[in-house]
Amino acid sequence: MEDYKFLFKIVLVGNAGVGKTCLVRRFTQGLFPPGQGATIGVDFMIKTVEVEGEKIKLQIWDTAGQERFRSITQSYYRSAHALILVYDISCQPTFDCLPDWLREIQEYANSKVLKILVGNKTDRDDREIPTQIGEEFAKQHDMYFLETSAKEAENVERLFYEIAAELIGQARSKDGSAAAAAAAAAHRQSEGSGVGSSIGLASLSAKAAQSNCCGGGVSNGSSTSQGHAG
Amino acid sequence: MSDELPEAFDLVVMGTGFTESCIAAAASRIGKTVLHLDKNEYYGGDSWGSFSLDALCSLLEKEVSESSALRNGSYTWHNVAAVDWDTDAPAVWTREAILAKSRRFNLDLCPRVLYAAGELVQLLIRSNICRYAEFRAVDHVCMNNNGEILSVPCSRSDVFNTKILTMVEKRLLMKFLMACNDYGEDKCNEDSLAFRGRSFVEYLQAQRVTEKIASCVMQSIAMCGPNSTFEEGMQRTQRFLSSLGRYGNTPFLFPMYGCGELPQCFCRLCAVFGGIYCLKRSVDAVSMDSQSQELLVSCEGKTLRAKHLVSGPGQVPINPVTPMRPNISRGLFISCSPLGNEEINKGGGGVNLLRLLADGGTREAIVIQLSHYSGACPEGLYIFHITTPAQSEDPIADLAPFTSQIFQNISQIVFSSHFTLYSPQSVEANALPLSIHCTSGPIYEIDYDAAISEAHRIFKELYPNEEFLPRAPDPEEIVIDGEDPSALNEHSLPEDLRAQLHDMELNSTENQ
Repeated sequence: MEDYKFLFKIVLVGNAGVGKTCLVRRFTQGLFPPGQGATIGVDFMIKTVEVEGEKIKLQIWDTAGQERFRSITQSYYRSAHALILVYDISCQPTFDCLPDWLREIQEYANSKVLKILVGNKTDRDDREIPTQIGEEFAKQHDMYFLETSAKEAENVERLFYEIAAELIGQARSKDGSAAAAAAAAAHRQSEGSGVGSSIGLASLSAKAAQSNCCGGGVSNGSSTSQGHAG
Repeated sequence: MSDELPEAFDLVVMGTGFTESCIAAAASRIGKTVLHLDKNEYYGGDSWGSFSLDALCSLLEKEVSESSALRNGSYTWHNVAAVDWDTDAPAVWTREAILAKSRRFNLDLCPRVLYAAGELVQLLIRSNICRYAEFRAVDHVCMNNNGEILSVPCSRSDVFNTKILTMVEKRLLMKFLMACNDYGEDKCNEDSLAFRGRSFVEYLQAQRVTEKIASCVMQSIAMCGPNSTFEEGMQRTQRFLSSLGRYGNTPFLFPMYGCGELPQCFCRLCAVFGGIYCLKRSVDAVSMDSQSQELLVSCEGKTLRAKHLVSGPGQVPINPVTPMRPNISRGLFISCSPLGNEEINKGGGGVNLLRLLADGGTREAIVIQLSHYSGACPEGLYIFHITTPAQSEDPIADLAPFTSQIFQNISQIVFSSHFTLYSPQSVEANALPLSIHCTSGPIYEIDYDAAISEAHRIFKELYPNEEFLPRAPDPEEIVIDGEDPSALNEHSLPEDLRAQLHDMELNSTENQ
């Protein structure tokens, strides 16, 4: 069994082509994928990080290309602990769409979700959005802000480590609350436990597929339980 | 990246209802190029979605056309006196206070519960789609015993602890359930020979069970009617028993945030395997290219080519329009207090299931009570979904024999709504080109067996030799953009994955 104390679900949104998948892959695999194709086959990626002496499992979800025609499923946003909204600093239209994304986030995500605005592609020399503009937008909408380059690996680690640190802080300060319980769901059997708990079927699938089960995996963790949306 | 749609697809799917989404996911999963459209701006097609309270109200007000699935809609607000519940909820739920929380509701047009070992749960696990959904174990399966709503004992310990049965009754019920459980293993046992071809009620009577046990079994466990055969009753009882003890106290699950999440889970899988999604896009016409035998789908000024087309009811303009008939009568109520006593609503209310009978057991309705634990309504409020096969075009009249059984004492209902879900009259298969398949919309059932079997049937017609929704790989196993699997070698893996790989190798050597 893997040993981790918290499991956090992080989802990425933003226009097609802003580099969401590149950010995820740079962070989880340490590589920058060549080619510009839409995201195919990527569901979510997992990386365990250590922050403040705690092992934390980050489950990072990509849009699966559904953002192309603004058709992201609501269920994508459910039970996310953090939400990264990405734009391309060299592409004004991706910045102009941010209010639309915020509306969608407001509609479907938990109102207490941690929101981070990320201006990606700082390696580009045809910048269209000055850092300050991004910063101001983030401030206005109560979001954290960071500029990154998935290509140059700039600020990518920092982005995810800061999210992890912030989420741990939240979980600890709300001691005993639903959020803390949810985050610590990792090893708990959700079956038959407390009144407010929900169930991920995967815990059963792990049992069912014991023969080809490989030492943990996501199976146990995916039952993040949140009593209700904020 | 271009925002233009590609021009040719293996499969175009119209409508994001449950069945259509299931087929889209299955096709995409085996590598077919799929375009999935819906004329609505939300997922779920015309009958399978979940809605905020505002959105539901506007759906109910919407003008009806000959292809509408939702008809005869109406809703009413009621004045409610002060409420005394130990929650953070306002003391008085006014219409304004409730509408202010509109987005916290996920109101299903077509709510269902799932058997914990049923077809859908098995499919979700087998295909790995379960990672997109969370569930709430149904807290109580209830019965209406002379106007009193009681929790039906499900598990062995429930039977021993229940206060609604006497000691003798407990023994009888256990004996009966054990017999049902063993039934089928021995095809020649006395009962199965003696009762073959007779009714389940006769069998129950022969077991000399008391009236209370009989109604327990008929109403809630076997969920049978007076005409159900012995075999049917036994099968249904077994279905109930085999789903026990998996999650929670009852054999049932309810999807967190409503049943509208389920089609979306299938859509997510479809997208992960390359399916393209466009909501709010309708198809204007479909024609056949006589040379290539491909379908030409004209969609907002553009013509797409498709080898096959699957359409949900009312999504594609196929002439002549198939007439629609009333299929399911629905009542949807919001209340300040739950049904039944404190015992079955511990901690602020249970997610409970209640099956009601009327007309001497020949008619039935399913009531699903949702508290905020389901993620489908704000704390302090409760949703009652009532569903019955449509008898007429008047959902209020259809539901009256059932609502009168449970709402006689409740003055706490703040919002009541009724509507009918229509389905196309049986689709004439031979009236359509072979490459067009139409789904039939929801039918009245517990769980999703019929919907899955329809999706499975259509999939097999499209791709006879392919597997239906095989297991999707876990993230650890995914190889991206056709990279050589060996490129993802041990050294490029993060530490935890490396450890897992190590474990896997260890396991496989052990197994050999």
